[in-house]
Amino acid sequence: MLAQKLHLLRHNVLSFVSSRTGSDFTRRQYDVIVVGGGHAGTEAAAAAARLGAETLLITQKIMTIGALSCNPSLGGVGKGQLVREVDALDGLCGRAGDAAGVHFSILNRSKGPAVWGPRAQLDRERYRQFIQSELLSTPRLTVLEGSVDELLVSQPNPEEPGHHRVTGIRLVDGSHPILSSSVVLTTGTFLSGSLFMGQTTSPGGRMGDAQSCAGLSYTLKETLGLRVGRLRTGTPPRIVKESVDLSLAQLQAPDKQPTPFSFLNTHTRCKPEEQLPCYLTHTTPGVERVVRESVHLNCHIQQDAKGPRYCPSIESRVLRFPGRRHQVWLEPEGLTSDLLYPQGLSMTMPPELQLRLLREIPALHRAEIRTPGYGVQYDFVCPTQLTPSLQVKSTQGLFLAGQINGTTGYEEAAAQGLWAGVNAGRTALSLPPMALSRTQSYIGVLIDDLVGRGVTEPYRMFTSRAEFRTYLRPDNADLRLTPRGFEEVGCVTLRRYKKAVSVRDGLQEALMALQSVALSSTRWREKLGNISLSENKSTTLNGLDLLQYKDVSFEMLASAFPECLSQYFEYSQRLKIEAVYRPHCEKQSREMERIRSEESLSLPSDMDYLSLPVSLSQEVREILDRVRPNTLGAATRLPGMTPAGIIHLLNYVLRTGFMHML
Amino acid sequence: MLPCSWGLWRSAIHTLKTFRASPSARGLCIPTRAVCDAETIFALSSGHGRCGVAVVRVSGPASSMVLRNMAGLTQALPPPRTALLRRITDPKSKELLDRGLVLWFKGPHSFTGEDSAEFHIHGGPAVITAVLQALGSLEGVRPAEAGEFTRRAFHAGKLGLTEVEGLGDLIHAETEAQRRQALRQMDGELGRLYQDWSYRLKRCLAHVEAFIDFSEDELIEDGVLNQVDSSVRQLETEIERHLKDERRGERLRTGVQVVIAGATNAGKSSLLNTLCKNNTHTQSMTHCRANPHFNGQPCMSALSHTPKYAFFLMTKSLFLMVEQADLTLVVVDSTQLPPDPQLVAAFLQQHLSTVLPSPEAGMTAASDKVLLVLNKSDLVPEEQRERTEGELRERPGLPPACFLSCSTSTGLEDFLTVLQSRVKTLCGDPLSGAPSLTQARHRAHLQQSVQALNQYHQYRDQDLALAAEGVRLALTHLGRITGRVGAEEILDIIFRDFCIGK
Repeated sequence: MLAQKLHLLRHNVLSFVSSRTGSDFTRRQYDVIVVGGGHAGTEAAAAAARLGAETLLITQKIMTIGALSCNPSLGGVGKGQLVREVDALDGLCGRAGDAAGVHFSILNRSKGPAVWGPRAQLDRERYRQFIQSELLSTPRLTVLEGSVDELLVSQPNPEEPGHHRVTGIRLVDGSHPILSSSVVLTTGTFLSGSLFMGQTTSPGGRMGDAQSCAGLSYTLKETLGLRVGRLRTGTPPRIVKESVDLSLAQLQAPDKQPTPFSFLNTHTRCKPEEQLPCYLTHTTPGVERVVRESVHLNCHIQQDAKGPRYCPSIESRVLRFPGRRHQVWLEPEGLTSDLLYPQGLSMTMPPELQLRLLREIPALHRAEIRTPGYGVQYDFVCPTQLTPSLQVKSTQGLFLAGQINGTTGYEEAAAQGLWAGVNAGRTALSLPPMALSRTQSYIGVLIDDLVGRGVTEPYRMFTSRAEFRTYLRPDNADLRLTPRGFEEVGCVTLRRYKKAVSVRDGLQEALMALQSVALSSTRWREKLGNISLSENKSTTLNGLDLLQYKDVSFEMLASAFPECLSQYFEYSQRLKIEAVYRPHCEKQSREMERIRSEESLSLPSDMDYLSLPVSLSQEVREILDRVRPNTLGAATRLPGMTPAGIIHLLNYVLRTGFMHML
Repeated sequence: MLPCSWGLWRSAIHTLKTFRASPSARGLCIPTRAVCDAETIFALSSGHGRCGVAVVRVSGPASSMVLRNMAGLTQALPPPRTALLRRITDPKSKELLDRGLVLWFKGPHSFTGEDSAEFHIHGGPAVITAVLQALGSLEGVRPAEAGEFTRRAFHAGKLGLTEVEGLGDLIHAETEAQRRQALRQMDGELGRLYQDWSYRLKRCLAHVEAFIDFSEDELIEDGVLNQVDSSVRQLETEIERHLKDERRGERLRTGVQVVIAGATNAGKSSLLNTLCKNNTHTQSMTHCRANPHFNGQPCMSALSHTPKYAFFLMTKSLFLMVEQADLTLVVVDSTQLPPDPQLVAAFLQQHLSTVLPSPEAGMTAASDKVLLVLNKSDLVPEEQRERTEGELRERPGLPPACFLSCSTSTGLEDFLTVLQSRVKTLCGDPLSGAPSLTQARHRAHLQQSVQALNQYHQYRDQDLALAAEGVRLALTHLGRITGRVGAEEILDIIFRDFCIGK
């Protein structure tokens, strides 16, 4: 094997060239080993290193670190919130998006700021470069090219729950084992992955890359006894831009002024006028015909592995909703790329039929394919076997993140990767694991859904999954997460923390200033001109009340009271959003508190429910034994769980002193 | 990049934590405990059904407000743990509901550890329902979920560890009882009505959510929202209409309270006995049972009756009872009527004013709540009786009158027909009419559901996230009746109704 090893110090920036072979460079002992260099792996490695853990990132190919395997875009509705949260916890993907974006837009602009979806088309090359240079400049982080053959597993620490303990990994080349306190697996689609195109099947997780290691699958399934399931996904063919008649497609312009993902950035690398457009076109009846004619030549579509309902291949869309026109977006792949990415045309039929299908679409009637689309089927580990810190319950020190947990999407992977990296680092540093509440972040919702309910199809984030959507907004992710990320978690750098604190204080001051200006509604009308206020004349309203009105902007108030408000101009948009949502968030705060207090009562993962000396019905015991909820909150949400059972359980936990705050 | 050792981190955390505790640094974080007082809950804590005394418990921060409002305590609260006899009134209408004992428990010296109050009231279902409904109408007060009192007590550390085992079983029994009750209710027309609302509301929510989560990438037309607008409006109208149907449903569940009133020896007991004995006529009214009480009160008798459980009380002159009654049978000794039929109407008018509590306001309003029973008709000459009947027929301002002889049963047939039709009107006929409400709890949730739907319209064009919040909230409240609706269920509808395929 070509075992390139890199010990990348802080100063040898931008240099993978200094790689050398031989074991002398690599330490034999790390705090954290991260396997995989995708969105989950890079965030995990960077987070663990930020936390202070000596971290090793192992990837099959260094050059594919930070590669966008599928669509050249980041964010969207729900996903954009995740990007903002990852950024608020000092993750990479938000800043990478700002560096690589070539077409920025905020989706749902007309639907309320809580559900705005920041999104960008990316330049693949710039994204990869940014991630790689970030990792290079991260202290305590080493990157190693190699394939992991197996996990090293030993007896568990008897003081902690679990049946096994992971102690490191062994590479395929049979060299010495590399030891660590924790291991994060982010193997994506490479766990027993197979690729499908037409009637041909080959092992692998991504076209053009080495196949995955059977050894790792074996360790997970056989040694650790983890339950796995199978999912499928796919990617569309890449089209030569020159061969497309864009005049037959509808131009989709980006926002005039790009909005950065990161709270640290005031502008994006790409200048507003340098942005590239997208194009929208539609399928035709001819597309449906080609799909129907090719079904018998399409292995992937005939398999019964579960595919996502919301990102299906064109084949399953056509078969499920026949006779309809489906949207196809033609997206740029980068500033210098000569390719277009046809979003919505993921397909697995034989390449010659893929070409026929594309050419049924008017704008693509002369289209040439650079690389054909294909399908992937892969194993995932049923995520109910994980704790909210993303550690495998039965195996001390083993963390999983990304598609291996049954999710789909870059943003979902990055979010889990960051949190798994945080906890892998904490475990290695002998700190207690931490969980994010679903009342505080989309990351919390994502992880709670995964470990509490499991998945039946690739899991993608939607805003409808969040109970507290009006609080979990893209605009306030920094206030929700950055202070805690610094003060309690340790994954946020001082620079970002200071910035968040100054924003928080500034906003607080501005809100107080707004509340300090109070007038009768008659006087407000005089001051601001023609605005419609529902209150009667005598009611006194303060500036914050007034800002709730649709027609009232902070700028209007600031011009009415320049002396006390004009200094807060920089926060005008955030203040407006806060004013509108604050009353609703306060109404929900009681429910949030209830959920949080139930989440904070954790149930020991090794509890023997079947013989617990409390009065529980056999049915309830079996449910608890099967699902093994992490917290009392999760137990409460289990179907079949009775209120009486909850009380007995709570009583037992309190009595035996198992309770501890997460 | 800042190289930072772990030790440095920790010292930094320490200093910053103190900083964070300062009030200005609370920042925009959602306020936690200080603002989130627990809700105030109430429940009937004695068993449902007929009993001498019923105990209604209230627990939570608003308990003192509840006590003041319901027991007319404008000044100080009574000393804790001391019983006080008060008139219990509806806080909105000021209508008298009952006279009973009230107790005040200042937290933490109470069963739940919170501020609490207790109302010891008469055990009749009508009184209980009225008191529970009055409680439910107060701001910030809601019916307790099964076992909620005991759970609060447990969380407050008010229950010893040994008691908890028993508590679990108690809650189990409570939930079981409520489940059975819910099943019975869900099994009929009413259940289908709620399920239908729930289904439609789920679709509304799914379509709004689909519009939020997918419309930017997918072919989800704006028309979807217009459909939701009209569906939501339709639902609001239906629920509101249902809520306005004169509380017929609650009577169905807890029975119609009928008071038999009249002068001494007019024949009240005979009438009650006749009604109880006459099984052939009351068969359609199911069970019929006499249950006399003589607890120092004026003679009270009760029997359970009519479509499900009508509830009969009999009294001589207790205005309170008459005021609360759904229907009052005023028994008059026919031999006492003036022999001249033309004078009978005036005589009865006068008589009613002595029996009924508010004669001037009452007559027209109360006339559909009153039936006149002219007993001992066998002792009046037939000719006089017929002429009197003719005179009383179609007499405005007088309730319907029936001649009846409890001793010979003459006229019983006609009287029962009149009585039955009255009771049916009050109950709402479960077989033919619209299904009615059955519980104060349902009522509270339905009301909150309608309020939440208002929020949808309010924000529809301003902020769809807030508009959707209204539909979510409405579904949560309806879900308290029909069962919780999870996010997955909404997603299922989205993927069934739309081709989401980017």
